[in-house]
Amino acid sequence: MRRFLLVLGLAASAASAQLRVPPILARRPPPAPVLVGIDALRAEFTAQSGSAIVYFGGDSAVLTAPAKATLAAQAQWLRRHPELVVQIEGYADASDTRDHALAVGARRAEEVRNYLVLLGVPAAQLSTLSWGKERPAVMGTAPEALALNRRAVTVLVR
Amino acid sequence: MTARPLPLLLLLLTCLPAAAAAQETAAVIAIPPLTTPDEKKTGAGSPAAVAWQASQLIASDLRSTAELVPIGPNQKDYYSYPEVTAPTFSRWRTLGAKFVLTGFVRSRPDGRMTVGCYVYDAVKGTELGRTGFVVAADEWRRAAHKCSGLAYTAATGAPGMFDTRIAYVAESGPANARVKRIAVMDGDGTNQSFVTAGDTLVLTPRLSPKAESVAYVSFGGGQPHVRIADLGSGEQRPLVPNGTMSFAPRFSPDGRRIVFSMQAGANTDIYVAQSDGGAVQRLTASPGIDTSPAFAPDGNRIVFESDRSGTQQLYVMNADGTDQRRISFGGGWYAAPEWSPDGEWIAFARRIPGGGSRIGIMKPDGSGEKLLTAGPSDEGPSWAASSRELVFQRAGPDGRNALYRVSLSGGEPRKTVTAQDASDPDWSGVLD
Repeated sequence: MRRFLLVLGLAASAASAQLRVPPILARRPPPAPVLVGIDALRAEFTAQSGSAIVYFGGDSAVLTAPAKATLAAQAQWLRRHPELVVQIEGYADASDTRDHALAVGARRAEEVRNYLVLLGVPAAQLSTLSWGKERPAVMGTAPEALALNRRAVTVLVR
Repeated sequence: MTARPLPLLLLLLTCLPAAAAAQETAAVIAIPPLTTPDEKKTGAGSPAAVAWQASQLIASDLRSTAELVPIGPNQKDYYSYPEVTAPTFSRWRTLGAKFVLTGFVRSRPDGRMTVGCYVYDAVKGTELGRTGFVVAADEWRRAAHKCSGLAYTAATGAPGMFDTRIAYVAESGPANARVKRIAVMDGDGTNQSFVTAGDTLVLTPRLSPKAESVAYVSFGGGQPHVRIADLGSGEQRPLVPNGTMSFAPRFSPDGRRIVFSMQAGANTDIYVAQSDGGAVQRLTASPGIDTSPAFAPDGNRIVFESDRSGTQQLYVMNADGTDQRRISFGGGWYAAPEWSPDGEWIAFARRIPGGGSRIGIMKPDGSGEKLLTAGPSDEGPSWAASSRELVFQRAGPDGRNALYRVSLSGGEPRKTVTAQDASDPDWSGVLD
């Protein structure tokens, strides 16, 4: 749906441009996609990996089978892009205490980093950061919300 | 004149049984207004006005405790300057008072004021203590807090926690992008000020024992790391000068060392550093997460939490890292311990399966565990200088954090008023 609207928008701007600019300019190829540079790479990374995020059990940094599948897909894509700077950001949920949450977030990020390195991503490309229980993805203290906040996100920095 | 005390007596009869039921140890202290030997000028800032305000503040301080029930100040109870050291004990005895506090405020030629306080045993008619200060006109609150402390110590034997400061994290903005600032206020909630600007995420402020400086965790520049801010000069610096992740700082009782956690790979251990910089010494080396360290008041031992057994539990070790012993063995987990200033107790947050997170205390050998709050989202206990009360963080059903105080002798936690939502409280020792 969004793509369809985008095409319509481009057509409309091309039509209005034709009124004012010489034909030779108006016949130029349409502009590149809206996503360029790192944004385009991020979109491609998320699409081809399935997700930039993996989730964990309570107070655990153990990678689940679905998490490993996602990371395998991430690794496959990252190996083709050794030029990118990547940061793994680990998070804990609100039921964790403040200090311990920082350590748990670090541990989760480190687990993900180690697994990606195991799958062939250059270690020098991957840094880690813990947010502890700050910056939750989902509000609230319901079990579902907590589960969505126990996560590690693979962030393409540049 | 003789009919005057009646309303007071009535008030006493109505409030005492309730107070006695809640706190059987609570004692009545009479606080007739402080007097002044100066000529009766009553304008703002005059000794008479300050004497009245100070009397009210002392009563308010003592009312906030579980151990004392103040009566007064009442304007009709004014006494003359010579009576400061010769109160009419029989009168206060009649009203059920066990203690009497008297005092004076006197102006000085240099523009400052002398504030003096005396505490008496109303039953025996003996003096229990006295204290006096020369303060600038706008510093009378601290002198009044010291008077409150004098009375509290006379009645309980414990240091008063009135002339203290509380550091905390002031929170504002949307829940998924909270703006957090380190804030500091007086122990009674007044004089709130910010230490950091809010452009950087910050956590867990920990005051030096006399509140001259505050150590906290900053996300500025990437990795969360411990920084130290001088509250006088405003100068700030990192504790460990590199890009390593460090957190959970706490000062030693003499303020010279800071114990904290540092992360290496998936492992988190406890380290100690001189608070003015210098060498870092590693204290733990378990493969688990060792964090939230806090010194015993003698500086010789450290309590901390570790998940080396599989769940977060409390451990005690010597200050050099030797002789690490587990002290908590209940279900669920224990976290964020802090040693009481009198050395008797260790406060902690405990999660009980299905029971939420609560604040509790236990002896340093792990015995005598008591839960003080009902949760469900309480954490971060910090001791009052009296060792008889704790401040902690409670999240409401809407996820918003506020500070609460709870007494060891029981009773419902009471909310501390802060300008914004608040978390991560830390209560200093008594100021000099």
